[in-house]
Order: sequence, then C-alpha cells, then structure tokens
Amino acid sequence: MSGSVTDDSGGVLAGLLLPLCVVSGAVVVAGFFFPDVVGGAVDGPVWLVVALTFFGSGLGYLAVLPYPETVSDRETVPTLLRIRHHSLRATLREFIAHHDPVVLGVPVAVFTLFCCLQALFPQGTNATVDGLSQAVLRGGGPVFLGAMFLAVCYCLFLLVGPWGEVRLGGPDADPTYTYPTYFALVFTAGIAAGIVFWGPTEALVHYGTPPPTVDAAPESSAAAGGALTYALFHWGLSAWSAYAVIAVPIAYFVFRHGAPLRVSTILAPFVGVDGLDSPWSRLVDTLAVFATIGGIATSVALVSQQFLAGITFEWGVSTGRTGSVVFVGGLTLVVVLSAVTGVHRGIRRIAGLTVVLFGLFALILVAVGPRSFVFTSGVGALSEYAVRFVPLSLTVGDPWIAAWTVWNWSWWFSWAPFAGLFVAALSRGRRIRTVVFTTVVATSAATMCWFLLLGGTSLWLQRVGGTDLLAAVAGRSDAEAVVGFLVFDALPLGGLLAFLFLALIVVFIVTSADVSTLVTALLATRRGLAPTTGAIVFWGVFQGAVAVSVLLLGGVETLQALAVLTGGPFAVLSLFALGGLTLTFARYEGGHTSLARRAVSRLPAIELHHDVDPPEEK
Amino acid sequence: MNSSQGESEDRALEALFYRAERVALVEREQFSGARPTVWLVGVVALLAFVTGLSNMSEQTLALAGPLAPVVPDAAVFVRFAGVLFAFMLGLVTLGLQRRKRLAWQVAMLALPALALLPLVTLQPTDVPLLLALVVTFPLLVVNREAFDRRVELSPLQVASLAAIVGVGLYGTVGAYGLRDQFLGLEDWADAVYYVVVTIATVGYGDITPTTPEAQWFSLSVIVFGTGAFTVAIGALVAPAIEARMAAAFGSMTASELTLLDDHVVVLGYGDITESVLDRLTGETTFLVVTPDSDVAAALKRDGVNVLTGDPTDEAVLEDARVDVASGVVVASDDDARDVLAVLAVKSLAPDVRVVAAANEEKHVAKFESVGADEVINPLTIGGQLLGASVLGAPDPFTDPGERT
Repeated sequence: MSGSVTDDSGGVLAGLLLPLCVVSGAVVVAGFFFPDVVGGAVDGPVWLVVALTFFGSGLGYLAVLPYPETVSDRETVPTLLRIRHHSLRATLREFIAHHDPVVLGVPVAVFTLFCCLQALFPQGTNATVDGLSQAVLRGGGPVFLGAMFLAVCYCLFLLVGPWGEVRLGGPDADPTYTYPTYFALVFTAGIAAGIVFWGPTEALVHYGTPPPTVDAAPESSAAAGGALTYALFHWGLSAWSAYAVIAVPIAYFVFRHGAPLRVSTILAPFVGVDGLDSPWSRLVDTLAVFATIGGIATSVALVSQQFLAGITFEWGVSTGRTGSVVFVGGLTLVVVLSAVTGVHRGIRRIAGLTVVLFGLFALILVAVGPRSFVFTSGVGALSEYAVRFVPLSLTVGDPWIAAWTVWNWSWWFSWAPFAGLFVAALSRGRRIRTVVFTTVVATSAATMCWFLLLGGTSLWLQRVGGTDLLAAVAGRSDAEAVVGFLVFDALPLGGLLAFLFLALIVVFIVTSADVSTLVTALLATRRGLAPTTGAIVFWGVFQGAVAVSVLLLGGVETLQALAVLTGGPFAVLSLFALGGLTLTFARYEGGHTSLARRAVSRLPAIELHHDVDPPEEK
Repeated sequence: MNSSQGESEDRALEALFYRAERVALVEREQFSGARPTVWLVGVVALLAFVTGLSNMSEQTLALAGPLAPVVPDAAVFVRFAGVLFAFMLGLVTLGLQRRKRLAWQVAMLALPALALLPLVTLQPTDVPLLLALVVTFPLLVVNREAFDRRVELSPLQVASLAAIVGVGLYGTVGAYGLRDQFLGLEDWADAVYYVVVTIATVGYGDITPTTPEAQWFSLSVIVFGTGAFTVAIGALVAPAIEARMAAAFGSMTASELTLLDDHVVVLGYGDITESVLDRLTGETTFLVVTPDSDVAAALKRDGVNVLTGDPTDEAVLEDARVDVASGVVVASDDDARDVLAVLAVKSLAPDVRVVAAANEEKHVAKFESVGADEVINPLTIGGQLLGASVLGAPDPFTDPGERT
C-alpha cells in the first residue's frame, strides 16, 4: 500500500499503461492484418501474452483516465478517500481502525482455514463439502424453487402494482446515473463470464441429454425446443429476480428511511433502522462478504481455467497452471484499478465497453449466422417458456433438477447480496418500478436474446449445419470452454468472433469482480465511513489471492460448492426481506396508483379535455 | 447519534457512488463534435491504408462479401482501393481540420465508396474498417455545419488548375481521336496513360506517334502540359513553402520566446516603427510582431526579435508574452487594426502599459476609449515642432528642466 491511486498517481499510471497498450496493440494489429508476415515470427504463447497485455493495459488505461467534472469541491470527499503517506504501522493501524473487525476477520479466517484444509486434507474436505452441498441442494430444493418463484411474482407485482410508483430518495430526487449507464452497470455487474461460456453450450448440452421434464428423445426436434426453453429458464426472469428482491428492500430503506447502505438493511423492518448494529446484522453482512468473495473468486478461477482451456483447444497453445495464475494476477490488477477509480470512472467505462462489445458480437452473429432458424426456434422457445413457466418453476424432486435448476438458483442467490447492494446504491432518484424493470426485465431480455442467438446457432450447426459439436466435446468435462470455438469455426468471420468472444469473457468477469471488490470493501468498513483506497485494494487482492490459492491447491469446485451454499441463507433472507418490505409498504406507502389503474384513468381524462376548458391554475 | 451517523453515512454514500452530478455512459459532447469527426476520418484513412496493405500482401484475395458480384473488376478494386483511398483521405483529413467545405464534400463521397471494399471481401481484417466507416459517416452528416469554410485560391492558382485540366482533356481527347496514328494506343485508358506519362516527362516510349500530325500533337501536349504542370506546382506548392520558410526564418522559437521578460512588444510594422526601434535599441529588449513575413525576414536579418503573426490574435500575443511585458507599442499604418490590437492586448493583460500611435487625429479618442494608456498622433507632434521651429520658439517637447 505505497501511496494511493488518487488523481496524480492516476496520471503516472496512465503514462505507464498507455505506451504498454500502444506497443502491444501495434504488435496485435500487425499480426491481425499481416498474419503471413508477422505470424511466422512470433509463436503462440507470445501471442497470447501480447494480446492479453494489450487488452488488459487498455482496460486499465480506460479506468485511470480522469473524470471531467468530479464533485471535489466538497472537502470531506477527498479526505475520506485518501490515504496519507504514513509509516507501515500507522497505515495498518488506520486500516484496522477503519474496518469492522467481525466482517473483516471472519471471512479472512474462513478462507485461510479452507485453504489450509484443502492443502492438508484435500480428499476429506472435498468429500465433506460435496456431501453437504448434495444434501442442501436435494433437501432444500423446494425452498430455492419457492423463493425464486415468489421473487418473480413479487417483481411482477412491483412492476404493475401501486408500490412501483415510489421514488427512491424522495419525490424530487433526480437520478445521477443516466438510464443507459444504469442499465450497463446493472447488467454487467450482475452477470459474469458465465453468459459468454454457456451461451452456445447450455442449449446444446440439454439437447444431447434432455432434462427428464422435457420428455423427448436425445437429439430430437422436441429436445431442441426443450433445450432452448431450459436455457431461457435458467438465465431468464427468475435468475435476475433474485437480485431485485435484495436490491429493492435495501434501496427503499436506504433512500426513504435513512438506513445504512449494507446488505443487513434488509432486516430493518424487524430490528428497526436504529437496531442495525445488532449481531444479526453483522452476521448477515459477514455472510454477504463470504458469499461475494467466494462466488467471485471461484468465478475468476474457473473463468481463467476455461479461458485457457479454450485457447489450448483452439490454437494448441498450452500454458499450464502458471498460465492460469498469471492470468488471474492480470485480471486482479485490472479489477483493482477499476474498483479504485470508482463507479463513475473505471467501473462505468469498462461496463460501457462490455455492453458495446456484447452488442457488436450479437450484431455480427445475426449478420453471419442462421437467422431464420434462430428466429423460428427462438419464437418457439419463448412461447414455450411463457406457457410452461409456472410448471418449470415449481417442479421438484428430480436429481436433474437439483443438479441444474436448484444449483443455478442457489448460485444466483449467492451473488444477490453484492449485485443487489450495488443496484440499490445506483438507484437513488429512480422509481421502484424502474429499478425492477431494469434489474429483471431489461437485463433478462438482453440475456435471453443472447441465449437464443448463440444457443440457436449451435443447435443449427448440430442439426442442420453438419458439424457434430456434441461428438467433438464428448467426454470433456469442460464443454462450455470449447463449444464456442467450434461454433465460430463453422461461421464466416469466425476468427473475429472468436477474438470478440475472448474479449467478452475478460470484460464480463472484470465488470463483476470490480463491483464485488467495491461492495465487500464497503461492507467490511465501519458504518458511516467510505472505504479507503487501501481497503479497496486489499479486498481486490484478497479476492485474487483466494482465486490463485484454489487454483494452486485444487478445489475450485469445492470452493464453488461452498460459495453456492451461501445462496441458501440468502434465499431464506429474501423471503423475510419481502415480508418485511410488504408490511412497511402497507404502513407508509398508501396513495400510490398502480400502472393498470393509471392506464384506465387516462382514457376518460383525455375525452374530458376536449369538452371542458382546463381548470384555471392558481 | 443518529443524525450525525446518518450524515456520515450519506457522505460515505456520496463518496462512493455519487462523486459526480451526472454520470452518462458516454460523454456525448466529447465524442460527437467536429474535432472527433476529423479524428475519426483520420482513423478511417489509417485503417484503409493498413487494410489495403494487408490486401496487397495477399497472393489471392477471397471475395466473400455481398457486393462481390456487383462491383466490376472486384479483384483489382480490392487490391488497390484501400491504399489509394487512404492517400486521398489523408488530404481530406487535413482539409477537414481546416474546416473546409470541399473536404467535407469529398469525404461524403469517398466514405461510401470506400465502404465497397470491406463489403466485397468481408474478411475479419475488413471488419474494423467497416465499423469505423459506420461510425464516422453519421458523425460527418451530423457535423456538416462545422465544415463551412471555402477553399480560397488565388487567380494564378485557379488559372493553373484550369490549365492542367484543360491540357489533360485536350491531350486525352486528341490522343484518342488520333489513335490510328499512334503505336500501341487502343482505347481511352491508353489515352489517359499516354497523356499522364507525357506531361510528367516520363515518356516510357511504349506508345509512340507514327505520323507527323500525331508528332506535332504530342509536341503540343509536351509544351503546354509540362508548362501547365510546372506553373501549377509553383502556384499551389510554392506559397505554402514560402510561408513555412518565412515562419521558420522570421520568427523566434518557442523556447526563445519563453525567455522574454520585462520586454517591450511592438505590434505591427509601419512608417514610424523604424524610429521606435532605433530609440528602443540598447535601452531594453523588445519584440516585433508583424503579419508580414517579408518584413519579418528583413528584421530578423538585422538582428531584431520578430514573431510572425497577427497582432490582433490573442494566441499570438500570448506567444509574445504580453502579460509579462513592460510595455506595448502599437504603431502600424492601419488605425482600425491597431484598435483591435489594443483590445486584444487589454483582454489578455489589462495592466500592461499600452502606447499607441494614431495616424489620424480623430482616432485618438477611440484608442483611449479601448484602453490605450497613452495615445500619440505623430502628425500633430510633427506639425507643432515645425511651427515652433519657424517661430524660433523653444522646443515645446524639451524637458522643462533643461530649459531653465
């Protein structure tokens, strides 16, 4: 922690990153345009390093660029955020003084313990966690499915019902983040590289081995429809509702009742806004930090493995374990830069870039892909999704459901604390209806389009296009890492799509990890203080360190299972949060009109204006 | 406890999530003005160059784009179009930077034509160019009003351009008409090739006139063509080079300028400036600012500090370091421009002492009203001196102390 990344050293960093980006970019451009000339001179691993350096330094440079109009005239802001140049001991003391000992200590201790156990008794640890996870997913299946279904219903009610009218931060509050920014931040924070990997893969996997609820022969036309429907179901409305049911209560209590911005604020209806210092609140915050770090660190580790596995598969460039560790290190660096520079700089810019790349990729795929097949199958899958949504949401008991649907729901619920808190923080000045619309409808619309487009394309290749993707990945445990490349190889402009695909993986994981870093730093800092730069750096590095240690010690899947298990408590907590929110709404928020009533009341009002003179104002 | 805690929580929230008044996804005005447009056209030129080079380096080119069957001679087009367009767009970018209307019009035609290239080949390497075009073209349309300056050509330049075009037409049409009397001249393309090779005095000799009539015709093309070519080069290029030379020889360098301090700045060069400079020499350091590059070059030869530039331009005055000068003399032959110069000086450095010479008595009040600290009309002084001299009276301008 030597010095802080304030604006001055931001300039220095920019001065370092820009030449790095330009030089590596020049090599990349030369290789891209003149593959015959340059390609012979440089070999695979070097390419990989140069390309990733280019991309990483570019992202870092984007993050440290200054922001034109920061509100820095308020004296408090810089002093709260800046660390002064102290001796190491003083810095440490300040670091401890700023932190909540429980929320800081427990997760650090648990992760250290986990690493020790993993190093000493890998077999035992794996078996225990595996058994625990199986038991929870099997036994707790109804809870997860019920909580998720309720979340969807509640979001629907907020969307059309009267309480959606409530404006967070008072009737006169103006949103700071413009709608495109808001959407980009929510969308990119809430989803990591999973969307990229599973886009072409999920439907294909269900097509090869249809879920028992679909009742179709493997690789049949009915299986194709059911596969796409399930891809929509696992990544659609339900999944995103989990974020909304954590975000809306937090935002409401923070911006309407002055509660602190933490996950434990969802307990406010039970302990009161003043009672949020209780041990229960601490427990919830600690759990949130654990779930976030666990969830993101395993995602980072998994993504780095899948990323490099895909590259090995496609270009035969093998990097081994060192490659993964270096990759995670680079990611951590970009993540820390992005988180430290703040929401309005790094996080926003990389989120914007992500959305642009996402849209560009989708556009190119529409241009070169099998449009009519994707459209027909997409419409079919969407209608089936609409018709079968309730039965799909409420089917329990099958081991397949436990392994896929319940696992997914738990995974989404374990991400809900940090994603929900982030959404809540950005939502000042917006109506609850807008928050729900953005978090659930807009984001899932984007996700579902993506899954229909990519899933439809891979199904087309499998069924019509004459590429047996399933046979090519048979026997691989990491099908999701390679299916994308097989798909792009069969399409025009495939090389470009593959590059964009890899870029998307990196930006999607960065946009989630920087937000999670910021949120954990916020949760672990004492109430009423903004996290220092040092704290943000610490949590970013800690997150990276956990990822590296599980990569080195093995047990990525074990830690993932452990992190997913934390989804359980948050599924239960979301039920409490919704109950408490309903009671509070009923008590304080009468007199709002629902969307439906407003639509009805509009019609005669327009008629009246024609006949009667408008009433005099004043 | 609650109110203070609530306040500090608000501050924490502000510090983390509400650092700015408004956060837009893209700072629109930063990316959509005329400057970014010029910049993007430059990027398009660069990408066209690299894509063109990439195409030229390929042995065989795949034509996978949707327009491949439509474009005639597609293989030739994609091989050379990129680089040729890049050269043209480079010039266009320069013109756009000077906000020329003509450059905008050429760009509006050239960009869609260049879009044919990626749409014919549609290789991964073409996609960056295509994307850049898709972004640049709408920006160019949106910013059309920013590019409104006319290209101003001197009569000589217009004449020489007209001569080039005229000789080109004469030679091409004539050669095509006489194609039976030439060896190796078959069609219009040959005619154009022959004329260009002839005018440029290269004359490979692969097309040769075989009859006296054709020989005379060729001679006329050589005489008029090379003549027009030479004059055009002189008329179009020489002024630019002269301006550069004058600027280079008649100007102080930036680092020399920064050393100036407590100096006198003389704005404009008129009939009386010579005397002003004589008086100042040896007393203090001074700097003459004049738009006339010939005067600047002459002064520079005499060892005077000169800055070539418009004295009414604040940027030039800033270079002349008016703000740290001890005084400013404004004494050219044009009172109107001098008033503007005084205004410019005062807007930049309100406290500096400005002395102005009014060429006409009626302008004295105007100089004073725009802030000149002292205004002298040299003709009035001269007249009074003459009058005093003929009467034998004492010099009215001699120091009173000297008289006693």
